[in-house]
Amino acid sequence: MSDEEHHFESKADAGASKTYPQQAGTIRKNGYIVIKNRPCKVVEVSTSKTGKHGHAKCHFVGIDIFNGKKLEDIVPSSHNCDVPHVTRTDYQLIDISEDGFLSLLTENGSTKDDLRLPTDETLLAQIKDGFAEGKDLVVTAMSSMGEEQICALKDIGPK
Amino acid sequence: MQGFAGGGDGGAAAELAHLQSTMRAIEAACTSIQMHLNPAAAEATILSLSRSPQPYKACQFILENAQVANARFQAAGSIRDAATREWAFLTAEDRRSLVSFCLGFAMQHAGSLEGYVLAKVSSVAAQLLKRGWHDFSTAEKETFFHQIKQASLGIHGIHVQFTGINFLESLVSEFSPSTSSAMGLPREFHEQCRRSLELDYLKVFYCWTRDAALSVANKITGSDSAVDEVKVCTAALCLILQILNWEFQCNSNGKKGVNVFSSGIRHDTALSNRTECILVQPGPGWRDILISSGDIVWLLNLYTALRRKFSHEGFSIDCPIAVSARKLILQYCSLTGTIFPSDNGQLQEHHLLQLLSGIIPWIEPPDLVSKQIECGKSESEMLDGCRALLAMATVTSPTMFNQLLKSIRPFGTFTLLSTLMCEVIKVLMTKGPDEETWSWEARDILLDTWTALLMPLDSAGGIVLLPPEGVDAAATLFAYIVESELKAASASAFNDDSDSDYLHTSISAMDERLSSYALIARAAIDFAIPLLTRHCTERFSRLHQGGGSFDPTETLEELYSLLLITGHVLADEGEGETPLVPTAIQRHFADFVEPDKNPVVILCCSIIGFAEQSLNPESRSSFFSPRLMEAIIWFLARWSQTYLMSPEESQDSSYSSKAGNVHQVQSIGSGRTVLRYFSEYDHGKTVLDIIVRVAMATFMSYPGEKFLQGLTCYQLLHALVRQKNICIHLVTLKSWSQLATAFANEKTLFLLNASHQKSVAQTLVLSASGFRDSEPANQYVRNLMGHMTTYLVEISSKNDLKRVAEQPDIILSVTCLLERLRGAASASEPRMQKSIYEMGFSILNSTLILLEAYKHESAVIYLLLKFVVEWVEGQITYLEAQETKVVIDYCMRLLQLYSSHNIGKISLSLSSSLLNDAKTEKYKDLRALLQLLSSLCSKDLVDFSSDSLEAHGTSISQVVFYGLHIVTPLISLELLKYPKLCRDYFSLLSHMLEVYPEMVGQLNNEAFSHILETLEFGLHHQDSEVVNMCLRALRALASYHYKETASGKMGLGSHASSLRNPKGELQEGIFSRFLRKTLQLLLFEDYSPDLVGAAADALFPLILCEQGLYQKLGNELIERQANQTFKSRLTNALQSLTSSNQLSCTLDRMNYQRFRKNLTNFLIEVRGFLRIV
Repeated sequence: MSDEEHHFESKADAGASKTYPQQAGTIRKNGYIVIKNRPCKVVEVSTSKTGKHGHAKCHFVGIDIFNGKKLEDIVPSSHNCDVPHVTRTDYQLIDISEDGFLSLLTENGSTKDDLRLPTDETLLAQIKDGFAEGKDLVVTAMSSMGEEQICALKDIGPK
Repeated sequence: MQGFAGGGDGGAAAELAHLQSTMRAIEAACTSIQMHLNPAAAEATILSLSRSPQPYKACQFILENAQVANARFQAAGSIRDAATREWAFLTAEDRRSLVSFCLGFAMQHAGSLEGYVLAKVSSVAAQLLKRGWHDFSTAEKETFFHQIKQASLGIHGIHVQFTGINFLESLVSEFSPSTSSAMGLPREFHEQCRRSLELDYLKVFYCWTRDAALSVANKITGSDSAVDEVKVCTAALCLILQILNWEFQCNSNGKKGVNVFSSGIRHDTALSNRTECILVQPGPGWRDILISSGDIVWLLNLYTALRRKFSHEGFSIDCPIAVSARKLILQYCSLTGTIFPSDNGQLQEHHLLQLLSGIIPWIEPPDLVSKQIECGKSESEMLDGCRALLAMATVTSPTMFNQLLKSIRPFGTFTLLSTLMCEVIKVLMTKGPDEETWSWEARDILLDTWTALLMPLDSAGGIVLLPPEGVDAAATLFAYIVESELKAASASAFNDDSDSDYLHTSISAMDERLSSYALIARAAIDFAIPLLTRHCTERFSRLHQGGGSFDPTETLEELYSLLLITGHVLADEGEGETPLVPTAIQRHFADFVEPDKNPVVILCCSIIGFAEQSLNPESRSSFFSPRLMEAIIWFLARWSQTYLMSPEESQDSSYSSKAGNVHQVQSIGSGRTVLRYFSEYDHGKTVLDIIVRVAMATFMSYPGEKFLQGLTCYQLLHALVRQKNICIHLVTLKSWSQLATAFANEKTLFLLNASHQKSVAQTLVLSASGFRDSEPANQYVRNLMGHMTTYLVEISSKNDLKRVAEQPDIILSVTCLLERLRGAASASEPRMQKSIYEMGFSILNSTLILLEAYKHESAVIYLLLKFVVEWVEGQITYLEAQETKVVIDYCMRLLQLYSSHNIGKISLSLSSSLLNDAKTEKYKDLRALLQLLSSLCSKDLVDFSSDSLEAHGTSISQVVFYGLHIVTPLISLELLKYPKLCRDYFSLLSHMLEVYPEMVGQLNNEAFSHILETLEFGLHHQDSEVVNMCLRALRALASYHYKETASGKMGLGSHASSLRNPKGELQEGIFSRFLRKTLQLLLFEDYSPDLVGAAADALFPLILCEQGLYQKLGNELIERQANQTFKSRLTNALQSLTSSNQLSCTLDRMNYQRFRKNLTNFLIEVRGFLRIV
């Protein structure tokens, strides 16, 4: 178990789009997997065999972590699958601009203005309502394979 | 809604008009229900009829005059509803006339009205008759029954006869407790009715019915078109069947015990639980009527006559009369018990012989019967024949069973059973595996028959001696079974349907069948073992001869089946205990003194030898498929529990000087020889070594074969380390330490499924109990887990942890490490406690860092929490005060950190299933945290440490309350909908409130009101266990407060009195609030009667705390009653609730008991009208 392969500071930016190979048999429910080039959360794993006396294969059902669509895949369980690198970052919410972008405060004090508001009505309402009530909100942005989206918000007390 | 109360005062004409309008309303309602027009309103109309007071006249009018059949039906139902409700108020004359009206109506309209209306009316009559069973005089009953007798004997014609039988049928089912309608009466009433009917009437009914059947039987046999007679006869047969189905209880003059040794007849009632066959035990009083009367001959003749008619029109094997006749014949087969005299079974043998000779044509000759069925004949007669054999097998001993057929055939019943079953299996083999065919069902029934014969439940573990013919029959059958199973296996080898692929599905589907096969094999064990050996070796050598030149799949599948069958024949399932060597194996093969020649040893060795070949990479790749390995691992696990280093053998050897004790009996057979051969003194260690190496091979050489590896972990290795005497040898084996080293270091083992890694860690740690002293045991654990803790600490102390933590490969390693640590933590045993404490202690800080780093990665968080829970649970009782303080501080930091990450957090996602997942994950986390608090709690109850905690200034109760304070805000009422979380939460809460009520006074308002809110929620929970826990908590709080204030102390202080909350509203004190709630619950809401005791215990101290409010509430209740009678009843009841039984104001055991009694009486007295009025 050496950790040499984990040093890649030089490619810090590329980290967001990176995927890792991992043996299919080790991927479990609630983990992540790339199916049809989309990052998914695994909601169901089942195994079956290729013929009675053949080898095991895994059947994955995943849900796209960004658009919520269901995807499926079958992989021999000793083969490798791609696992997406999913990162989540907390930002303090400063403002919601008219054109549908969020203004966020990063940990090191700079601002980040390139994150769009979700288009889905309910999600949008949850963020906007909380903000309108004057709550102090921290939003969590999830990013993987070059996409980024708000995945949670947290109320840290009144302003 | 108009009322339907019977008749106004406006004279006959007005009354008639009123009745007619009622009838029209009901008719209209019934029609509209049928046409689905506004059904709700229609139902309300019909309900209002049955709910109106005394609607009898209207109902009778409708019954007699309505045009719509449904309206009549509803009217009959309304009579029943109203009469059961108002029974107590009706005069004796009213009651009698209602019953006789219904009876009379049914008789009068027999044959002219719709059948379902008549059936309803007679069932209403039956129910009312039962309702008034104690009210009617004997003479009144006699009048009713005279009428019935006349009817059922056919004096008033065939239709009335049918109605009469029908009425008796409803009556019998109404009086049988399992089918009776409740009528709001206690069990005693139903029980008295049952007894009365059984003693006084059941035999009479039987005779009437039989006479009724006799009276029409000749007509049926004589003509082809006696339709109505057939109907009567069928009904009569059904009724007789029902009477025989009665749960006879007064069978042997109240004496239950029967002399089991008197005859060849078994009296075990327990058997009836196992099979679908119900034993009929009516007792000696029925002998004359059932046995000596010749009814059986008559019935068999009737059926024979019917059989001849099957080709004719109107009759077939499946026509109702034939079906009922066969069912009744089956019922006669199940007759047993004291109805037969103790004449050595002669009468029973004669009785069964009569039946058997009637049944034989249904099943014999088997080949002809099965051919006919395959050509389209209905199979039900043949299946009933099989069921009859099952019934006979259940009530007789094997010897008697075999003897039965001998008097009419040159062979015994066993031979017939065996031929029949071979035939059935033959047919079954021609069908697809998933087709539910008759042969499938027949096979199951016949297997049950064998089980009934071979496994008598009463002689526990005893041996059943089969007659020699039975042994031969079993041998033939087993050979045939094996052959056909092998054929089926090779035929299905290339089937690729995913469901049947798995060992667990095939085992659980086959398990019952396999254990029946094993029973049959053990009945002919001398034959079965060599047969299995022959089959196995033949296939082993076939694999080797092939040498890769042919496709071995068919042979592999055959071996798979063989291993399953052999495993079942050789050993029983342990089910948590050490299974013994099967009796048959213990007793037989006594001639083989040389262990090497003992057939059982030979069979075991050949399979183990085969398993060992899987270690050779070449043969592994050519024929040890994952599926075959599954069967091998399964076999080894099952086999080793019985045979490998049996503790019995090692004990025997150490006491071998004391020969001549009980064991000598066993040592006659081969059981000893086999156990000795595989004991630690002989080949045991070699075999154990092979098993460990095979297990390791499944981890290393079958990557990704999750199921196979799971079997190795959970079945094989767990079974091994469960036995102390095996552990002693395990830890000395080189192969075992190789496994341990590989587990700590090898990358391949990190690729096992994470939960399997947990299991392996647990197994490895558990095996340390094989060390004689604790020092080497601890050192062994340290060596094993040291690498892992170091690695975890290393990861958590990385500078760039935050960035790399979310990389999939790091997540994978952390997950695996946590699972392994969790496995090790769950294997806590006193001997290894020290090293496991050190293991956890060394990573406490790292876990907090990881908790922060993975706050968004719920899967990791859950594992981390579970590790902490299991570690604390295993350690807490052993810890010294100083260590406890460290652990407690750590737990509190953990709770705070977790809470700060999660409180007020909302997940956003487009996918509802991801959102649900997030909720479930949260629930699981919280449940783990509650478990953590509960295990901290246990420190106060069980503590093995040398010094007291208080001396170090740590109070467990304070800590747990503080913990609750952190956790409760995370538990929303929404989350309490998860039943497990809910139970855990309430049991912890009620435990805390019960044991440490004094802590509640110190809680702040917010925490306190959260607790109150949840208590209130829990009080109205569906789960009565939760309600019970809340009531216990209330009792504890109230009694604490009452006792404290009585002695002049604060009690709960400000929480007990009313307060103004910040918004300025007046908030009631806790006890006033819950006094109201509890009273409300008790008087007006639905709850399980089991809760009354607990509610009384809570209510009593609540009343004492808030006497003023209680008086006020009582007065309010009384004021609300408009009815004067009820008012005074309520006043008296309230009065005696607090004053009768010398209840006083001290909270002691005596008073609690008195109050329980008072409350029960109070509720009986007033709850009924309070809830209705």
